[in-house]
Amino acid sequence: MVAVAMVFAALPLWLGHSPYQMRIATLMLVLASYAVGFNLLFGHTNQLFLCVGALASLGGYTSVLLVRDLKLAPGLAVALATATSAALGGFLSYVSVRRGFGVLFVGIVTLAVSLILHNLLLGLRELTNGETGIVTRGLGLGLGDDPHRAYYAVLAVLVAALAGYRWLFSSAHGAALHALSEDEVSAELSGIDVTRYKVACAAAASALVGLVGALYADLNGFISPSVYAVGHVDIPVLIALLLGGVRTLLGPVVGAALFSAVDELVRPFGQLTVLAYGVLLVALFLVFRQGVVPLAERAARRGWMAVCRPARVDVSGPEEEVAGGIEAGR
Amino acid sequence: MGVVLDGLVLGLQLALLSVGIVFVYGLGGVLNLAHGQVAVAGGLVAAVLLQAGQPPFVGGIGGVLAAGLLALALDQTLLQPAYRRKGEERLLLALILTLGTSFALDGLFTFRFPNLALSLRVEPPSVELAGVRVRTASLAVGGLALGTFALLLLFLKGTRFGKAIRCIIQNEAGAWLCGVDVARARSATLFLSGALAGVAALGQGFFSYLGPDMGPEFTILSLIVAVVGGVRSLTGTFLASLLLGMVNALLSYWVGTYLTWIALLAVAVATLLVRPEGLLAYWP
Repeated sequence: MVAVAMVFAALPLWLGHSPYQMRIATLMLVLASYAVGFNLLFGHTNQLFLCVGALASLGGYTSVLLVRDLKLAPGLAVALATATSAALGGFLSYVSVRRGFGVLFVGIVTLAVSLILHNLLLGLRELTNGETGIVTRGLGLGLGDDPHRAYYAVLAVLVAALAGYRWLFSSAHGAALHALSEDEVSAELSGIDVTRYKVACAAAASALVGLVGALYADLNGFISPSVYAVGHVDIPVLIALLLGGVRTLLGPVVGAALFSAVDELVRPFGQLTVLAYGVLLVALFLVFRQGVVPLAERAARRGWMAVCRPARVDVSGPEEEVAGGIEAGR
Repeated sequence: MGVVLDGLVLGLQLALLSVGIVFVYGLGGVLNLAHGQVAVAGGLVAAVLLQAGQPPFVGGIGGVLAAGLLALALDQTLLQPAYRRKGEERLLLALILTLGTSFALDGLFTFRFPNLALSLRVEPPSVELAGVRVRTASLAVGGLALGTFALLLLFLKGTRFGKAIRCIIQNEAGAWLCGVDVARARSATLFLSGALAGVAALGQGFFSYLGPDMGPEFTILSLIVAVVGGVRSLTGTFLASLLLGMVNALLSYWVGTYLTWIALLAVAVATLLVRPEGLLAYWP
């Protein structure tokens, strides 16, 4: 993880001269941060939140409106925006858990909430300017003025989130989360407070998404309901997570990088990007559900063993196969 | 008065659109998020046929068949891996697969036919009926929907195959034990749902116009109806469609589009919270 942080920290030295490439790199980090949050929600606690974009828009609009209309300090506004998103995410999660919703109902409820928020943002014209959007220059921390500052700000958040993720899964809480993602009833019976874990995870992930949504509003210089729409945020996040690998530390980051690369390739074809998203999602879910990172890890482990302990390859080989088979079967 | 009639007709439209999604969920345990796109595909095929100089009748039949065949193709290809799983796994897999499909189809339609629209005109534009001026289009759509429903009921209640389908909705394992071919019934249902959605798309063409980008709207509308009516109940779907159609017409008349959408979605969320099996679902 430290290596990845250093690679990303060094990236601007290479791309720094081109504002366009810096922007692409920053957007990639934004996507990766959303995906880290979504990984916690969907990957670890089986909560299919189809409202990542909505939570981000809540963060973005809250921070911008607090600064514009209530003249709050930008830092405070971003903090309040983060808290607002966390509250909404935690509330949705609490209600879903309490009502015993399965993955389908959580998906429908959160999708409906997304659309409600989208239509609210469109409809409350006096407040949000509707589809025209708001120019956010001068209404935030000033990330929009300097591409490098924007990049490092988002990178700091992403690295902090990854560190938090790593800490979580090296603690006893991580074991509890593993248990409840396998079987919630058994987890509950062995004394794990499933409701609390799910709600806490949802709130934490929503806080991350809201914070990054607020930073995005600042660094993008402009927000409108469509930049946070389901097709612009949730679908890329889902694809990036599946591509990189669900339930892994670096999966969201690797997936976001790959997705951004693919997105750049198909961007010249206009509406075909939507087609590409759809095909990618279907193809990934059908044939490649484990993602790049677990695949690479396994390949690396195998290569490592072949180099260091050639005598033991024969012993560990079949075990690896079995483990792979189980994972693929899941 | 005109608004009320519009609401009724809109409700019938919604019913046409939603019966398919409910049917497929009840029978296959699969929520088809590409349902609206299937409808749009039917409408676009009809529009292409009309542009090629075919008579409206041929265009309409072609569109409905195309929508049905597209749904059947989905069933035969993408949904197969989902059918091999059970319960939550099946739902999730099918949910993501059809979500991806819906985006793929949306992208394809708006890329390939950016300016194509299905718009069916009837002459004269309005007629006098019992002292009230009524749009002919409304009557046409209402008649189309009612006729289609009559056929559907005849099929479900009158034929052996229709009865078999209703059996499966009640109890899949039981039906299978009685010798009902579940996979075949499922394919037939997918085709039927697509064809019904295609009819709804034609209705939209009569009402105003149908564009290549209306798939998501259709999917969401049918989802809302399915949720409010109960995802396993046909009577509930029908009642919910009429109710929501009326609400939609009245609200868009009074408060505008955005608030109408918010109200409809809020009704759906509230239903899920208060009575997840469907507000109007009938449970014996």
